[in-house]
Amino acid sequence: MNILTGFNLRYGLAILVLCSLSPSWAWGVENAECLECHSDESLTKESTDNILNTEITESLYVDEESFNHSIHNDNGIACVDCHADIEELNWDEELPHAATLESVCCCSCHEESAEEFKDSVHMEIRKKGVTMTCYACHGYHDVKPMEAALVSERANSVCLKCHNPAHTHDWLPAADSHFAFVECVVCHAPEVPRTINLRFYDLVTNQFLSGDQLLDTLGIEYDAFMTTVDTNGNQQIDTDEFDDLILMLKQKDVHAALRAELVAEINPLAHNIRSGSAQKDCGNCHAADSPYFNTVSILLTNADGSIERCTIDRSVLQSYYVNHFYLLGGTRVKLLDKIGLLILAGGACGAGLHLLGRILTSPIRRKKSKK
Amino acid sequence: MHPQHALNQQMDYVHPAPVRVWHWINASGFLFLILTGFQIRYAESINLMTLSHAINLHNYVGFVVIANYFLWLSYYLGSGKIKLYIPDLRRVVGLAIRQARYYGFDFFLGRPNPHTMTAENKFNALQQQAYLVIMLVLLPAQMISGLFLWKVKGYEEYINLLGGIKVIDTIHVLLFFFFTSFLFIHCYLATLGHTPLAHFKAMFTGYENHH
Repeated sequence: MNILTGFNLRYGLAILVLCSLSPSWAWGVENAECLECHSDESLTKESTDNILNTEITESLYVDEESFNHSIHNDNGIACVDCHADIEELNWDEELPHAATLESVCCCSCHEESAEEFKDSVHMEIRKKGVTMTCYACHGYHDVKPMEAALVSERANSVCLKCHNPAHTHDWLPAADSHFAFVECVVCHAPEVPRTINLRFYDLVTNQFLSGDQLLDTLGIEYDAFMTTVDTNGNQQIDTDEFDDLILMLKQKDVHAALRAELVAEINPLAHNIRSGSAQKDCGNCHAADSPYFNTVSILLTNADGSIERCTIDRSVLQSYYVNHFYLLGGTRVKLLDKIGLLILAGGACGAGLHLLGRILTSPIRRKKSKK
Repeated sequence: MHPQHALNQQMDYVHPAPVRVWHWINASGFLFLILTGFQIRYAESINLMTLSHAINLHNYVGFVVIANYFLWLSYYLGSGKIKLYIPDLRRVVGLAIRQARYYGFDFFLGRPNPHTMTAENKFNALQQQAYLVIMLVLLPAQMISGLFLWKVKGYEEYINLLGGIKVIDTIHVLLFFFFTSFLFIHCYLATLGHTPLAHFKAMFTGYENHH
């Protein structure tokens, strides 16, 4: 009886431990074991290209440093979570796992993205014999966290691998400015949620201020940022609260400007890029009430690429705090409209009043000319 | 027709052909720029054309107006007529006061204009100052800010040096409103000749009729 109870206890504990750990731990294969071989830059594999029927040498090297900074590593995804057909390593063999592994199926985890991708133009080109894999755009062992990425990093790391936007945007006025400040999928995946990312740019060092630098300057922790700045507690930085934040920074001798970019949220819908559905109606964005600016956030970036997102009132885009980002019509300074109206009214009234005086005094001049 | 052949002695050849060509190209350019300018700034309220058409048209016409400005500048510098725009500093204050008094008071009573337009003394003191600032400061500022807005990435360094794209836009927009307002006043004042259309005719024929 005691033996049976002890066995049940051990068995139960083992199940519990196995259930609470990721598969890599359960199977006992750790990244370090894989990297024992795969961190060798000279590790290659000979194979035959099935189209040209030629021998090719494939590198099997994994850059540990890059992998450690990848979004998968950040989320605790281990080698064998993706290379799931490796259940154990047999160190008695020269090659401790099967020589040919199954293809990694990204859609095992990224189901929604795969679903959106199915309807996309990148899937459609399979009919023309071009197979687009996930890693053709995203890479595999070094997929970076993109939430904090700048437009240049987002486009360069994905779309610009194949596309040269300069060849296909002749119709677009100020195309260079669009490429610099708007992420490709904002227009090309019209359903994707969009956000304006604001970052502090130090005008003295000509560098973006990281979240750590900003908070060090203010002498507060990440958790205390919103409670310090959002004094009315509405979970949003209002314009007067933002004035106070700028004042705080100036008092700490930080002269920073806000740099803005229009990007897509990290969302599966970004994969739904369909032929002919790109947003070409400029008025959707270049209008004061455009929904494209509904979400505006200040990004506090961490060294590991993660971010803290602090929502800010969209009217900050119309202020002179955001001097390096301007959408014709869309983020226009409303005060200028009022000043403009006064200038126009001044001119029209000046001419109108003079004309009125001229009409009223015309008998005087008529009388004088008769004389 | 050359001034020597003017049939009527009261006719004075005040607007040479290059000036008239420049003026009317500039006037039509301004009209297009103002219309497209309103369309660009208020795309959500005005539907004269699509935004991209408005921007392209605004850009093309802007370049015509810039090229035209250099026609004006080279003519006035080359012929030495630029001095028409340079006020006589010793007399300018008194002349300006007299001219302002004329527009604001004497004109209504039918008193004569203190300034007579001739080829050598084309502008009254107020026009002289206004046009000097407009042609040598405001219009170049509008052209340069327009160029910067046309190629934001290309002129990025200059734009940043001046404080950012929104500062450039502010200059461009305020001058846009100023020039639109100026057009109201300019057209109205042009009706103050001996007949309401006299100055308009003169800008086509080149001859100003003095009564």
